[in-house]
Amino acid sequence: MLEIKELSVSYDSVQAVSGISFVAETGKITTVIGANGAGKTTLLRTISGLIAPKSGGISWNGSEIQGLRPENIVRAGIAQAPEGHAVIAELTVEENIRMGALFRLRKNRDDVRAAIAEMYELFPRLAERKNQKAGTLSGGERQMLAISRALVSRPQLLLLDEPSLGLAPLIVEQIIQTVSALCRETGLTVLLVEQNANTALEVADHGVLLALGKVVASMPAAQLRADESLRAAYLGY
Amino acid sequence: MQTFLNAFFTGGSRGAIYALVALGLVLVWRGAGLINFAQMGQAMFSAYVASTLIAQGKNYWIAFIAALVVGAVLGAAIDILVIRPLKKKSGSAILNSPSMREAIPVIASLGILGILQALAGMIWAGDERGFPAPVSTSAISLGGKSAPFTPFDLFVIGTVFAILLATSLFLSKTSVGLAMRASALNSEVARLSGIRTRSIRTLGWVISGAVASIAGLFITPATNIAPNSLDLILIVGFAACVIGGLDSLMGSVLGGFILGFTTSFIGVYDVPEDIFIAIFAMLILVMLFRPQGIFGSKAGRRV
Amino acid sequence: MFKKMDTALRNLGVAALFFVVVLLVGKNVGPYNQSQIAVALIIFIGVLSINILTGLSGQLSLGQGALMAIGGYSCALMINNWHLSMWIAIPLSLVSAAIAGYLLGLVAARLSGPYLAGTTLLLALALPTIANRFETVFGGETGLSIDFGTPTQWLSGIVSQDSFELWQLFVALIFATVSLFLTCNLFTSRSARSWRALRDHEPAAELMGINISRTKTQIFAISSAFAGVAGALYGLRGLVGPSVFGIALSLSLLTGSILGGVRSILGAGIGAVIVVFLPDWIGKAMHPFALADQLTNYLPALLSSLLLVLTIVINPGGIASSLYALARRARGNFKK
Repeated sequence: MLEIKELSVSYDSVQAVSGISFVAETGKITTVIGANGAGKTTLLRTISGLIAPKSGGISWNGSEIQGLRPENIVRAGIAQAPEGHAVIAELTVEENIRMGALFRLRKNRDDVRAAIAEMYELFPRLAERKNQKAGTLSGGERQMLAISRALVSRPQLLLLDEPSLGLAPLIVEQIIQTVSALCRETGLTVLLVEQNANTALEVADHGVLLALGKVVASMPAAQLRADESLRAAYLGY
Repeated sequence: MQTFLNAFFTGGSRGAIYALVALGLVLVWRGAGLINFAQMGQAMFSAYVASTLIAQGKNYWIAFIAALVVGAVLGAAIDILVIRPLKKKSGSAILNSPSMREAIPVIASLGILGILQALAGMIWAGDERGFPAPVSTSAISLGGKSAPFTPFDLFVIGTVFAILLATSLFLSKTSVGLAMRASALNSEVARLSGIRTRSIRTLGWVISGAVASIAGLFITPATNIAPNSLDLILIVGFAACVIGGLDSLMGSVLGGFILGFTTSFIGVYDVPEDIFIAIFAMLILVMLFRPQGIFGSKAGRRV
Repeated sequence: MFKKMDTALRNLGVAALFFVVVLLVGKNVGPYNQSQIAVALIIFIGVLSINILTGLSGQLSLGQGALMAIGGYSCALMINNWHLSMWIAIPLSLVSAAIAGYLLGLVAARLSGPYLAGTTLLLALALPTIANRFETVFGGETGLSIDFGTPTQWLSGIVSQDSFELWQLFVALIFATVSLFLTCNLFTSRSARSWRALRDHEPAAELMGINISRTKTQIFAISSAFAGVAGALYGLRGLVGPSVFGIALSLSLLTGSILGGVRSILGAGIGAVIVVFLPDWIGKAMHPFALADQLTNYLPALLSSLLLVLTIVINPGGIASSLYALARRARGNFKK
């Protein structure tokens, strides 16, 4: 269980996230939605350790993890597929995936090999492009690669930052469905940050609505979807 | 013809040394984003250590290994004592601008060079020291005629090729090599993948220091060593990196060989004083017309 | 408009005060210290050239000594071959250094940090070989010696005829004062604001309508003009040669700039004083210990490099920035 407690983060002397609290239940998909600039990406980058919070706490399965370095956050079982389908363009698809499991290699060589094979099963298109440079992939394939790179470390919590950004609806659907199936089958916890609220709320169990760095609503996804006044006020549809 | 062959082989062995210097510079550049002007200071220091050991009657190879270790340790020390603390200062007013964030570490590396040179001067009294070669440095004779190369030339070229091969295999085939490439290319994604980029960067400094020390050992038999005797070599190595492409390992190595041949032919067919003017001209031309270097593949420079 | 006048007046006052104080100090110390103060004044101009280039615009030149050499050689050639008065030769060598700097700036404008740093360092290192290459003109390894001359008649009231050191100090002081005044105006000018924008955020500066490469080239030329004056004065001490303008000179300029504070005019002064007088101070401090020659010879170099690195690691803003911070705190306490 991931618990965000009164978390505040400033970024370039601007308060990007101010005092937000919510809980992401184990084995569930929690989505954080909100307009551009609501503080969603800042929140994820703080959880994964790229930014240090100004105050407040992040507790993961009962231990405080705020302020840890990203490389240790990953070791604690939290992996992030960052914004903009970030992969390393100059490395091959295979190398990008292997990179995500490097830190487990020494202890679990066989399991790492198995995990890499699973990624290719999950996204067969990546298997076809194994030896291609990641820079040559399409946007959707890159997103698949970014997710695989995160999943190959066998995380308990997957942080997804705007996976739908710039992708065709069909591919977004496919990726989101894959993740949600994974969640159901393996008990993976997912924290999905999305601007595309409709898609996100469709698959999520719980929805958190952010506006200007504050939590406006935190309720079951279905309820949030049904609330027309919130939708009209904050999501504009 | 004899002159040409002589120049060719001298160029080859000199180019091999420049290639090593360039390799050392690129390893640090890709990891830490700075040109380490202290590098030849590290090499000078370890060459002095090796020459002291030899003077005490130790075996060449023991001295060789000792030099390698000294170079590597100095590399790690620079990273841990200077570059890492400097990174923590990135909030201070002066390091707020990107141009200063680039400039300040470079100045620091020059300061380290100054420290190493002064220390070497204090310890070894600024003596010029010779350093033997493990094999003969006089020309081989083939059927009564002397060949255009010496055993030492062949030794240098052979060792350098072995090192280049080992480095490229290490980077492309091993996990640590992958971690190094990943940290250099995109340290944020690397960290999110669980790679300890800080330690990996230090490793880059270590390898670079060891490689530079080998270069230092290979130059010493020809020129002797003094606290500032390797300054010029560093500049040639830097030019090699830029000409070949700072982001490309193989490019820089080829740049080293290009400069090796250039300097050797100018030295033989023209006057040696023109060498630096030629290097400077090549450097400016490459930077103006092909800023990513002759072999650089990326559209632009890294920064 | 009035504000502009005010600043100019204040700068004039600062420069005048500087002139008077240094002159008074200079007249009351021995010949050795007079010539050391002269060197410090020259180095001050050289450090200013770095603070203008690096501090204001963020471009890094490791070979400022090479630009000083251009000023020095031009000045020497003009005095020796054309028998010009130094009052004409120094301003002319400023022009030749500025032209060289402009050309270098054309290249520099296309280069970012490490490339620029390496190229300028290469220039500084290659200089001796160039002097050797054209030995007949530049006098090769030995260099060119210049006769500095004696005080002009109308100055004999201020500077006595027989003190070469004081005369040296006086000439250096005149140019240092002018440089100080010009730099003060430069730092507060409107162009400086756009240079800082360029330094801090190049894309934003471009959006503001600043022509990046032209501006960078201009700054390079201006900075080189200062370096040229410093070089000319440095050579006028008697010799212009590769050993005078070696890489060590470039390094001590950089050290002075960083130690004092690369963004501050006061810093340039502090840095120049430290760089020039440090060997004397160390000599005095170490005298009772009777250290071996090989230690004392290298001690100044070791300490100044160590100071450089420590300054960067502890407070990259240099001594001046610490002083300003202290002053701010003191003023804050006072208000409370």
